Amino acid sequence: MSPYSPFTLNRRQVLKTTSSGFGFLAFSALSSLAAQKSQNPLAPKQPHFPARAKRVIFLAMQGAPSHVDTFDYKPDLSRDSGKATKGFAKLLGSPFEFKQHGESGLYISELFPHLAAQADDLCLVNSMHTDVPNHPQATTQMNTGNFQFVRPSMGAWTLYGLGTENDSLPGYITLSPPNGAQNYGSAFLPAIYQGTPIGKQARNRFIAEEDQGAVSNIANPRLNSDLQRVQLDYIKSLNAEKLKRDQYHPDVEGIIESYELAFRMQDELPDVLDISSEPESIRKLYGIDDRTTGAFAKQCLSARRLAEAGVRFIQLNHGNWDHHRNLKDGLTNNCAEIDKPIAALLQDLKQRDMLKDTLVIWSGEFGRTPHGQNNNGRDHNNRGYSLWMAGGGVKGGLRYGATDEYGYQAVEDKVHIHDWHATVLHLLGLNHTDLTYRYAGRDFRLTDVHGHVVDGILS
Amino acid sequence: MKVRWQHLALSFSLLSGHLFAQEVSMSSSASQEQLDFFEKKIRPALVKHCYKCHAEEGDKIKGGLLLDTREATRVGGDSGKAIVPHDLDESLLYVAITYEDSSLEMPPKYKLDDDVIADFKTWIEMGAPDPRERRLEPGTPTEYTNTIDIEAGREHWAYQQAMKPNLPEVADEKWNKNPIDRFVSAKRNDEGLSANGEADPRTLIRRLSFDLTGLPPSSSDVEQFVADFDENPDTAISEATSRMLESEQYGERWGRHWLDVARYGESSGKEINAAFPHAWRYRDYVIDSFNQDKPFDQFITEQIAGDLLDAENDQKRTEQLVATGFLAIGTKGLNEQNARQYRFDLVDEQIDTTTQALLGTTVSCARCHDHKFDPVPMADYYAMAGIFLSSETLYGTTEALQNRRTTELISLPDSAPVAAEGKSLADMIDLEMQRDILQERLDDLLDESREARRSGDGDEATRIRQQTLGVRNRLGQAEGTLKAFLDDGTPIALAMGVRDKEDPFDSQILIRGEEDNPTDERVPRGFIQVIKTNDEEPIEADQSGRLQLAHWITSPENPLTARVFVNRVWSKLFGEGLVSTPDNFGTTGELPSHPDLLDYLAIRFVELDWSVKDLIEEIVTSQTYRMSSDFNPEYFEMDPENRYLWRFPKRRLDAESIRDATLAVSGQLDASRPKGSVIGQIGDGYFGRTITDAQIEVPSNHRSVYLPIVRGLVPESLAVFDFADPSLISGKREITTVPSQALYMMNSEFVIESADAMARHLTEDRGLRGPELAKEAFYLCYSRPPTSEEGQRTKEYIERFLATADESGLSQDEARLLALTTFCQSLISSAEFRYLN
Repeated sequence: MSPYSPFTLNRRQVLKTTSSGFGFLAFSALSSLAAQKSQNPLAPKQPHFPARAKRVIFLAMQGAPSHVDTFDYKPDLSRDSGKATKGFAKLLGSPFEFKQHGESGLYISELFPHLAAQADDLCLVNSMHTDVPNHPQATTQMNTGNFQFVRPSMGAWTLYGLGTENDSLPGYITLSPPNGAQNYGSAFLPAIYQGTPIGKQARNRFIAEEDQGAVSNIANPRLNSDLQRVQLDYIKSLNAEKLKRDQYHPDVEGIIESYELAFRMQDELPDVLDISSEPESIRKLYGIDDRTTGAFAKQCLSARRLAEAGVRFIQLNHGNWDHHRNLKDGLTNNCAEIDKPIAALLQDLKQRDMLKDTLVIWSGEFGRTPHGQNNNGRDHNNRGYSLWMAGGGVKGGLRYGATDEYGYQAVEDKVHIHDWHATVLHLLGLNHTDLTYRYAGRDFRLTDVHGHVVDGILS
Repeated sequence: MKVRWQHLALSFSLLSGHLFAQEVSMSSSASQEQLDFFEKKIRPALVKHCYKCHAEEGDKIKGGLLLDTREATRVGGDSGKAIVPHDLDESLLYVAITYEDSSLEMPPKYKLDDDVIADFKTWIEMGAPDPRERRLEPGTPTEYTNTIDIEAGREHWAYQQAMKPNLPEVADEKWNKNPIDRFVSAKRNDEGLSANGEADPRTLIRRLSFDLTGLPPSSSDVEQFVADFDENPDTAISEATSRMLESEQYGERWGRHWLDVARYGESSGKEINAAFPHAWRYRDYVIDSFNQDKPFDQFITEQIAGDLLDAENDQKRTEQLVATGFLAIGTKGLNEQNARQYRFDLVDEQIDTTTQALLGTTVSCARCHDHKFDPVPMADYYAMAGIFLSSETLYGTTEALQNRRTTELISLPDSAPVAAEGKSLADMIDLEMQRDILQERLDDLLDESREARRSGDGDEATRIRQQTLGVRNRLGQAEGTLKAFLDDGTPIALAMGVRDKEDPFDSQILIRGEEDNPTDERVPRGFIQVIKTNDEEPIEADQSGRLQLAHWITSPENPLTARVFVNRVWSKLFGEGLVSTPDNFGTTGELPSHPDLLDYLAIRFVELDWSVKDLIEEIVTSQTYRMSSDFNPEYFEMDPENRYLWRFPKRRLDAESIRDATLAVSGQLDASRPKGSVIGQIGDGYFGRTITDAQIEVPSNHRSVYLPIVRGLVPESLAVFDFADPSLISGKREITTVPSQALYMMNSEFVIESADAMARHLTEDRGLRGPELAKEAFYLCYSRPPTSEEGQRTKEYIERFLATADESGLSQDEARLLALTTFCQSLISSAEFRYLN
């Protein structure tokens, strides 16, 4: 590709042999790099109070999974299946069986046989509700708290509040996200806090699996690390000049920081994402080599490795939950893809003693109607749905809140998106009313002027 | 600042009005006597006999029916309405209490006394006066239509006719010349802000050049402009503007903006992602239309109903047919098994695109229920659906096991250009033989499969099934290819688009949008009721209504069309629209920052005979466009988002401009239009199955607008800088700053090769060395010479790079070359390269 003879030096060797050596260090002392380091916006920060969770793994299910077929057991709905309800639409009992699991006796649908074995670690919230029953807005509200205006995402707020423990990796990574960068954006928070998407959209099943998690352009074909450092220092000086002229330009600051992070990522990220070193038992546990579970298993295993490497907020994405039709097969297939990998993730975190300070969250943007649609489907329902959390500071084996007898709306211990956000921040040691950012003359929060920590689920 | 907060407050209150049930003041026309009747006879009966099961406060809500509010009683269930004033037969509540229908008897355990039933009869016949007026909470699963008060909906600003606003007087003479400036200036003064001064000419020419052509100015362009500007700034700007608007690059730039909105893509997307090898014709049509400065109303009409227009010659006919590709290039779930479902999905996509792109209205929200926020009842949705259902959408694609939904394509007049190379006679014979062989093979396989099934050999049957799949796909492709050529190998000019069906019909309303759940009611083909124009044309029985739809959209009385488009133009020039939600002018959209200016521009645009070039010219020759982007901490504190335009915004270039500029500064840009598209040359097939990624990643030095846009496989050079998702209507691109962009600039083949080419261009073609070379490189990349500080840094860089290279054991020649190319790469990678002041 290049007209020059590329020379290669193992990057790791270069670092080892030269980091204590001549040019690089001499220069870095002179350059603004040193100054930059001390005020690294990603440096770990103290939480407001002792944190129960150090990091978050958020399993986001696009399209709104049906709660009454998964984690919200509704015997009345099954009993009255076929009866006309509001608007003469007919109730649709779940085609799936629910059984009690674990010592806690949580009801979980047969769709999740593996996850059900970890019932005693799950904290089911059956009384979630959100404001709008449309996917794009509700997804944005789930991620940012606000469906109307552009606001920073939960991950960005977390990173802003806590920094990250590994400054060679982005502190907030979203794996194969769907469209809509706003959902992992930083809005008015500094650009360095926005989520870094890795991997192409998993939604396109014609992208080869090995490419789905791949990071492009992670190595320079002809510059060794020293030379690239020299080049990046030059780019940085150009950018710093521009920033000085512009006086205030957060995007340029973001660019400067992103080059620094990118430079460090080149060494760290390929190793972290390389799951080939994982033993066979782990591959089996997650279902890496299985056609059904493979894609999401890789996301889950990558998430564990990123968590171990110190990434603060990791979002996983799984799509196609919008079952207006074909509910039975659609849910069966989707759940088969995620059940084993997620159960493995919980188990794996536990055996590494990481579950205690890792908050794992599973949620869609809303739920679905207890009445049927197109015979074998369900419509959108924002007034009542379920999510679950596990690990970092939540009570396992708990079923919190409830919807009405059919699952139309949350009626008991209702939890709004704002309440959930407040709770997640609380678990991370952050007071949602104190985590503010001044912009346009106003202090903004993830929870706007709302939100109550859901004390009942704290362990 | 104050106004800003009022906006916020207003939009919140609008919203909460829709989200939460709220008592509204009574506006009933019922007489006191009638209301007394209700209070004495009806309310007690309802409370006593019905509320237990049919009130929010009751024990249980049964049958989904609420009778505790006026609205709820009138809202229909799926099979009818509880109360229809004046109509006993239609009032299901009356049917139920009379026990006429054994399947619907209420109350269930006893029949009401005859005199109570008679009271209900009297009450319904007098019009069912009911003081319990309360707005029902949308989202309640009971509703599906007729909960919307269209008259009240018309109050929303965007549905009201634009009125020519009075021009405000501005004291500053400089700001009092151009009407645009007067509006902007007046608003800014109201907010207690002042305007920045003028930008320097180098900044201006760079701004203008990227905005109008998507390319950087050449260094001679810059120098010429600086000289002209010194002499007379107004003339300099207006001449540069005219020159750029006349260039081919203008259409490539502004056509691409429209392609974002038209969700242009060269494949079906979704599950099986079939190629659309003829989509490029629509792309070229759009570019040409902008370059011809086709009046925008005509541009719209052609896209919606080009096939129904008269054409004076074949060329015009071709153009008009290709234009309807607008309706055909959307995403498609070709593997949908249910044909009826598929048709409704396709129509939904057309309604969604048409109404969002042209009207800033999300009509497709009303597919399953009345629109939750805007005054669009389901009936309006199905009125439009009838128009598109009465049209046939032609997009091609080839038979394959998973593609159940192939269609024909439109054959264009012979004079139309073609993308594919002609085939030799031998090739054609080859292809035909291939097809015959595959057909035979398929027949054999089907026999074998029957055999295997009979003998119960499961493994064998699976093996055969897989083979069949492959053969069927290849056969489909061979047949598709054969269809695109005449027997002698001459390619046939085909296009995607629409045509009317022979027997147009009205659509039924589908309950909850379910194709198998239609009501008896058919809605006459028509438009959105909230927008009434006096020049609406009737849709005749034998017409789909697309032409009438186009005329309704382009009617000067339509309050949305011109506003939505001028806002799109403004947003591309100022980084943000006057309405910051360009695809949503409804109640959940943002309010305009400058309502008068928006109306002025909308009316002006129609006065200019919908000339986009004239509109752009009027904006870019304003004082507003000429402002500097300098920072001002005081004003920033007051208006951080610069809604009131105290400065020109600093904007990042879009993905195409970053790539095109990279090609331009490296001397590699091929400004010509390629023949067709890479996808057109590949022909029919399925991405990821019969077409590999490598086939579409063909290196190209053409402008980005000509790169293959396959859904889900957008070229990396574009995707990394936030290219629009080709599956969605995108009036606004996102701007992200993420490390993947840094990695792309540091390590990608494209950027490294471009830097090499730039270095070669400067040294070999231009013969430059040392500081002269550096100066020209800065000129190319930044449209200005380096500052002395930058010059110094550059010198130091080269020295340090050479020293470090020496330590790394590179030869001197290698090191020099690398120093030079990485210098070029650094400029391309820097923030200033991709930001406009």
